[in-house]
Amino acid sequence: METLTHTAAFLLDWHVILAALIGVTWGIMGGALPGISPSITMALLLPFTYTLDPTSAIVLLASTYIGAEYGGSVPAILIRTPGTNAAAATVIDGYEMNRQGKAGLALGISLYSGVIGSLFGLAMLMTLSGPLAQVALAFTPMAYFALGILGLSVIATLSGENLVKGMIAAILGLIIATIGSDPVTGGTRFTFGSAELLGGIEPVMIMVGLFAMSELLVQASKRGQDERVTSRPRIQFPDWPLAKRLIPAQMIGNGIGTFEGVMPGAGGTIASFMAYNEARRWSRYPEEFGKGSPEGIAAPETANNTVAETALVPLLSFGIPGSNSTAILLGGFLIHGIVPGPMLFQKSGEVVYGLYAGLFTAAIGQLLIGMAMLPVCIWLVNRPRPYLNAFIFALILSGIYSIHNEAFDLGIMIAAGVLGFFMRMLRFPFLPTVLGLVLGYLVESNFRRSLVLSGDDWMIFVDDRISLGLLILSFLFIGGSIAKRVYDMLRHRPSATFSENAES
Amino acid sequence: MLTRDFVGGVASIAIGTVYLYFAYQLRISALDDSMGPGGLPRVYGWLLVGLGAVLTIQAIVSRRMAMASDATGGRDEWDGQGRKILHAAGLLAIGTGYVLVIETLGYLLSVAVLLLVTTLYLGAGNKGRALAVAVLGAVFLWVMFVIVLGVRMPSGVLASLGL
Repeated sequence: METLTHTAAFLLDWHVILAALIGVTWGIMGGALPGISPSITMALLLPFTYTLDPTSAIVLLASTYIGAEYGGSVPAILIRTPGTNAAAATVIDGYEMNRQGKAGLALGISLYSGVIGSLFGLAMLMTLSGPLAQVALAFTPMAYFALGILGLSVIATLSGENLVKGMIAAILGLIIATIGSDPVTGGTRFTFGSAELLGGIEPVMIMVGLFAMSELLVQASKRGQDERVTSRPRIQFPDWPLAKRLIPAQMIGNGIGTFEGVMPGAGGTIASFMAYNEARRWSRYPEEFGKGSPEGIAAPETANNTVAETALVPLLSFGIPGSNSTAILLGGFLIHGIVPGPMLFQKSGEVVYGLYAGLFTAAIGQLLIGMAMLPVCIWLVNRPRPYLNAFIFALILSGIYSIHNEAFDLGIMIAAGVLGFFMRMLRFPFLPTVLGLVLGYLVESNFRRSLVLSGDDWMIFVDDRISLGLLILSFLFIGGSIAKRVYDMLRHRPSATFSENAES
Repeated sequence: MLTRDFVGGVASIAIGTVYLYFAYQLRISALDDSMGPGGLPRVYGWLLVGLGAVLTIQAIVSRRMAMASDATGGRDEWDGQGRKILHAAGLLAIGTGYVLVIETLGYLLSVAVLLLVTTLYLGAGNKGRALAVAVLGAVFLWVMFVIVLGVRMPSGVLASLGL
């Protein structure tokens, strides 16, 4: 109740409303562009958030995530090309409905289910985050260290086809985090006499480079005509009998989306496909799936929009980003000196309540903006790639330069882009690098502080009950993932491919 | 033999070795804790070298196993990659050029040149349209950053015009 009261106070804050609506609009446009994932869409906005107040900045980024999840379904339905990974399941029945001349209805179901998913996900986020964060109030440096390890253990499920590659990618992130001042003594490390590196490398440079710049470098080699949208559909919402028929599929999407969102590393793509499968299993019309079933759109779209909200639970409560998009959102928090996790609700409660209000505004606004933006999305999808990519390139370079007005930052971002390009080529996942980068300081500073406190007694990590619990949880997480890989290997089943969580 | 995993493994060993070299150069002070500023960096360096070695060995073993069962060779996975790297290097050169000229030419001019060169490089056929998009795009970005967001972008050669 207290949460609702605090949140309600922000519902009429025009900064929050504006940030939410701009975020959704930007997200829908970004999501509609094949190849531009939600995380890239968010990363492009990161430099702009420096000039905003913390609440507006976080609302802007989180609303972008929501908008992108719907935006991804537009090209999925119209040109059989999912704008985001999570919209891949929507292609199956969405494109079939388009072929049957029901593109407007397919888009309407996607939009309406997305709004239901967002609202349900927000309710779950508000219910779960606060109580979980309460547990974390008793955290000591040892517990914070263990929390960092728990965050890094997510790598086990995000490494795709090869756990070793995921671990290498994480260590690269940890290495980048060591550049700058030593967290305990304040001495300089790996700065090579550069004054610009004294404060370390800001995660935003690396994130924009890894996600957005590397994508442009990959697309630089793609020449040729993309598929174009030739029809001009208008969004049509389902009538009552159809809406009633969609309820079970949407409930399945809500349930699976909640579970997958709260689990770090799962993400919207898995949730969408699981929801699609379960909706088919429980449907009264399973034979329609794959042939233009409305439930085949409702279930995955509800699921991936639910994930867009519930994925914030581990981020807000423990400071653990479970996907690329939430890692970018974490970057947004860090830009404003706010550390998500145990103390967030105590120290920056207004940001959390503003975020809830912004997400509510974004979910409702999505309905109107989604309808209004459809012609814009179609126009964008039909733009020739060279112009679009050149503009994104200019936007990235301008945005990064505007942070400190230093060309040095551009160099760092471009270097991160090159790193990302080769990581893509060699099939290394990105998210472990981002996790290493954002958790590196937390892990090192608290590890060393704990040892100073205990007089170098390593048993302090076991004696502290919260630390012990989190370390056991990390061990189970890693052990479970390894056991699953071994099981899959013995059953000759392929593990997840490297890209499965790359852009969720 | 040069599979992606093999190259990734060797690159990890190389990066780890260079990082370790610098990690061991970090100065120790009397005020340091027992780990010191170099403690964890050394751990990371050794882990990177070790994991790089594991990945390299994995790559060699799986390549041998693949060769034993299939004699087609592993050239497929590198097909077209050289061309991709060259195309990416071109875009990288354009970006680097922008970094070098932004403070001299100023934001408005350099972003217009960036847009024009990038669109043409990425394959835009219509030069007139590319020029129009570059000019309009540059003005749009200038208005957005300088006027709307109030960011102090470099004026460069256009300083006398107040841009």
